Amino acid sequence: MFVAQAEPVRITYWEKWAGFEAEAMRAVVDQFNTSQDRIVVDFVSISQIDRKLIVATAGGNPPDVAGIWFAQMSSFADRAALTPLDDFIRRDTGSEPTAWLDANYTPVFADMQRYRGRVFALISAPSTVALYWNKTAFREAGLDPEKPPRTLAELDAMSRQLTRRDPRTGALLATGFLPQEPGWFSYAYPAWFGGRLVDDDGRVALAGDPANLAAARWERGFPQTLGVDELKGFAGGFGSFASTQQAFFTGRVAMVFQGAWYDRFIARYAPGLDYGVAAWPEAAGREPGPPGQAFTVADADLLVIPRGAAHPEAAWEFIRYATSANLGATSRDELRGVELLCFGHQKPSPLKQWSPWFAANHPNPNIGVFRRLSESPRAWHVPKIGVWTEYLREYNAATQRLRLLLAEPDEAWDYVQRRVGASLERHERSVERQAGAAVAESSAAEPTEGAP
Amino acid sequence: MTATDLRRLRAGLAFTAPWIVGFAVFTLYPVVASLYFSFCDYSILQRPLWIGLENYRTLAGDDVFWISLRNTLWFAGAAVPLGTVTSLALALLLNQDVRGRAFFRTLFFLPSIVPLVASAMLWLWIFNGSSGLLNQVLAPVFALWGGAPPAWLGDPAWAKPALVLMSAWGAGHSMIIYLAGLQNVPRELYESADLDGAGAWSKFWHITLPVISPVIYFNVVMGIIGAMQVFTTAFVMTGGTDGNPARSTLFYALYLFSSAFYDLRMGYASAMAWILFLLIATLTWIATRVAARKVHYND
Amino acid sequence: MTTRAPIGQRALTYLLLLAGAVLFAFPMVWMVSTSLKPPEQAAAVPPTLLPRAHYAEIDGRRAEVTLDRELADRPGWWQVTAKDGARERRELPREQIDTRIEPRWGNYPEALDEMGAGRVGFGTFLTNTLIVCVLGVAGTVLSNAMVAYGFARLKWRGRDAFFAVTLATMMVPAPVLMVPLYGVFKELGWIGTLLPLWVPAWFGSAFNIFLMRQFFRTLPEEMSEAARIDGAGEWTIFWRLVLPLSTPVLAVAALFHFLYAWNDFLGPLLYLTRQETFTLAIALQSYQTQSGGVEWPLLMAASVVTVLPVIGLFFLTQRTFIQGIATTGSKG
Repeated sequence: MFVAQAEPVRITYWEKWAGFEAEAMRAVVDQFNTSQDRIVVDFVSISQIDRKLIVATAGGNPPDVAGIWFAQMSSFADRAALTPLDDFIRRDTGSEPTAWLDANYTPVFADMQRYRGRVFALISAPSTVALYWNKTAFREAGLDPEKPPRTLAELDAMSRQLTRRDPRTGALLATGFLPQEPGWFSYAYPAWFGGRLVDDDGRVALAGDPANLAAARWERGFPQTLGVDELKGFAGGFGSFASTQQAFFTGRVAMVFQGAWYDRFIARYAPGLDYGVAAWPEAAGREPGPPGQAFTVADADLLVIPRGAAHPEAAWEFIRYATSANLGATSRDELRGVELLCFGHQKPSPLKQWSPWFAANHPNPNIGVFRRLSESPRAWHVPKIGVWTEYLREYNAATQRLRLLLAEPDEAWDYVQRRVGASLERHERSVERQAGAAVAESSAAEPTEGAP
Repeated sequence: MTATDLRRLRAGLAFTAPWIVGFAVFTLYPVVASLYFSFCDYSILQRPLWIGLENYRTLAGDDVFWISLRNTLWFAGAAVPLGTVTSLALALLLNQDVRGRAFFRTLFFLPSIVPLVASAMLWLWIFNGSSGLLNQVLAPVFALWGGAPPAWLGDPAWAKPALVLMSAWGAGHSMIIYLAGLQNVPRELYESADLDGAGAWSKFWHITLPVISPVIYFNVVMGIIGAMQVFTTAFVMTGGTDGNPARSTLFYALYLFSSAFYDLRMGYASAMAWILFLLIATLTWIATRVAARKVHYND
Repeated sequence: MTTRAPIGQRALTYLLLLAGAVLFAFPMVWMVSTSLKPPEQAAAVPPTLLPRAHYAEIDGRRAEVTLDRELADRPGWWQVTAKDGARERRELPREQIDTRIEPRWGNYPEALDEMGAGRVGFGTFLTNTLIVCVLGVAGTVLSNAMVAYGFARLKWRGRDAFFAVTLATMMVPAPVLMVPLYGVFKELGWIGTLLPLWVPAWFGSAFNIFLMRQFFRTLPEEMSEAARIDGAGEWTIFWRLVLPLSTPVLAVAALFHFLYAWNDFLGPLLYLTRQETFTLAIALQSYQTQSGGVEWPLLMAASVVTVLPVIGLFFLTQRTFIQGIATTGSKG
């Protein structure tokens, strides 16, 4: 049948970011909207997207596309809130989803897009995490500003040398490293030490592991040597992350773990800061190697189609556009999709191949470090389990107790293990119960309703 | 029923119609539904499934539930007396024969109408560990003894006291109520006390306090109900529903909110809500029992 | 009191009043003062009350600079950084730095602009808040007056029992209603709209019904009787006679609802999803928690803007306010 110039399909896209990250995505949306005339994407910035997306999905009125964090994927998928993308991938690429991911994506990112043997999301903007160090602070403390720590022992030694106190009151003025500043990746410390948060069967495995305990003891060492009260006063004075008063910008903490986006914040709040970017120091007892062999945390923004979306086909078409690139781009105007987005976010592209222009003209001067880190076989991401947000909450609460010297390492980890273990059981029991009820309901309904 | 009765009934129902709907939809149904949900596995994504007492049993063994309950009772136990004393003291001061009473009254009252979100932002800044106003003032004082002021919201021992202090800043509202109560105290009582040569303290204890005791009772009950549900200030100031640091400000309403809307354990949250209901009813009953012995009603 | 208090006692009273005034007023003064400072002065040690600006000659041009620190080896010399251009650092003697008191009014437009992330204007938040407040106030006044009239001035079977039930609902704490109400609004498709924030106000609330009923009962019954004899219907009596006489209590209910709706945080937190629908309270909080946080002066500027209308409202309606609180608070 012949249809003349139909009305374009309008789809809604909920994005979690506000600010410059949202603007970068808006550019991609605009590009997609002008690239064709069949689909129009309405781009909406949503706060607290995790909660609202679930509710909208439950109410049968979800957006067609949503931008979520990697850490949320498993719980959303477990609650049957996401549409699997496997069939779309098979149809459009002619290959099996797993093989297709492996062929196109850097291994850690390929892995992050798989869950329980299916693909529920594609990566829009990924990043890895590196060590930033303040060269001025190094110089002033008598350290070689061009030599960041290569091992954990060096990190600790340098941190001690970078520690300054008020000669009169003894109050802390500056230090080298603090696990909680800004502490966004504290949950990765056990893995950094060579331990793990869940075992191969997806069960909580925090307690008892010697490497996990070593990480907890290391955390606890900071308040023990610097003083709990001194640290409270010291850390209480740090400005918020996006401010000129942030500890790293003012030189009060000389080393932090941050992602590729950090460069943008430095340019805005501490222009002229003399800093460098390096791989994480070796903490698992191996010989320190190049970034391509080092430990790092990989994280990603994902695009998903919530279950029950009104226009899954159009949504997929947009996702496909926003997650692929023009690998032959030779100018900014020729950047497409994921490269345009990552250029705006100042992050690496998740794809194995980068266009020559993107690689050569990336706004982040240290993008090479982040790219090599992402290629490391030891690039680590948070575990894919349905109660991860709860795990993280418990982990953070326990870490706070460690930092305040309110708990011993084994006691802290045992507590998390017990609580998250019980919660996981409850989660599984509920999933089973609901699945059972759904089966009973559909078999009861069968006589009256034919198969679609 | 006579025709007049029927006509009157019709008129009565017509006038109260908005409330009949409002009562049914926004109160009665939610109350019944939440009681039902509290016995269910309910996530809002799927249909509620009856699981009997499991939610209540799980709650009994949930550490964080007990922590949140303890924190909340601690907060109410400190904030209600402090608020009462502060507002009563301000009212007593203003009830003196002073110049500029309207000016002072306005000044004390204004903070109580500042939106909680905005006052939370302000106090977050004042309580800031090293550059906050409070510690800039306190630091030299503490330095005399060779110490340092507490890190307030950064210290699990001081975060709750900080929130309590902040709550006293909003004492202006009940101050107005006490002031009205004080102005109802018959002057003759004071005059005859003066003749008896009673001192200021004795007049306060034997005249003022008994006369305004119903007002105090009312305000304390309202204070307890409010304090048991404290949410906004902690949500804004101490890390959403995490109750930082180290769960020292994890209040009951925060845990309920995160159970319901982050973990999607709506049944569990409903059970928590009913326990809170019973708790508030019990506390109110205790206050009433105390009041029955101490409060003097004139009539 | 007939006898004036002794001088010592009066002095003590004033002393305490002044101390209290400082404690209660200073936080707000500090909020305004911080909102007019450049970021580096907000956290200055020791704190300064008045915002300042420092100027110095840098590369032949006069530039605004930040005073970074006094040099340890050269007392009286300071390291300064230009705020414009390439942000050059210089070391200068203090007397070459021109310091003046200068509020940064620019913080306000900047904060309002950032609050809406540049896309949604601050005006949108204000409009949303006003919609919720004004529609809510209209609903509160109309519905509660009607219902209270039904309870106060009409006699009908079941009235007293229903009124007792109504009073009992005041005991139910909000968290009990939270989860099912969320379900109700979800079923209605109202999540993500302003409707859950103002529509319920059109269906009465126990407290306001109670408040207005108490007032209506003080109006003489003969007045209504006379009107009834003249053939007036109940609606006419309500609308033409009772309402005009009841403006004080209506004003109190209106004012309290306005304040409640303006300050409400949990409601918008639960029901609003898109920035376009945010009210000021939730916009302020989401501004504070936006990726990376906010500079203190900007956050304080945004807070001041959220507070100002309420303060203004108070000064316009002081008498109603104070009397309203006094009557509602003393168990009417």
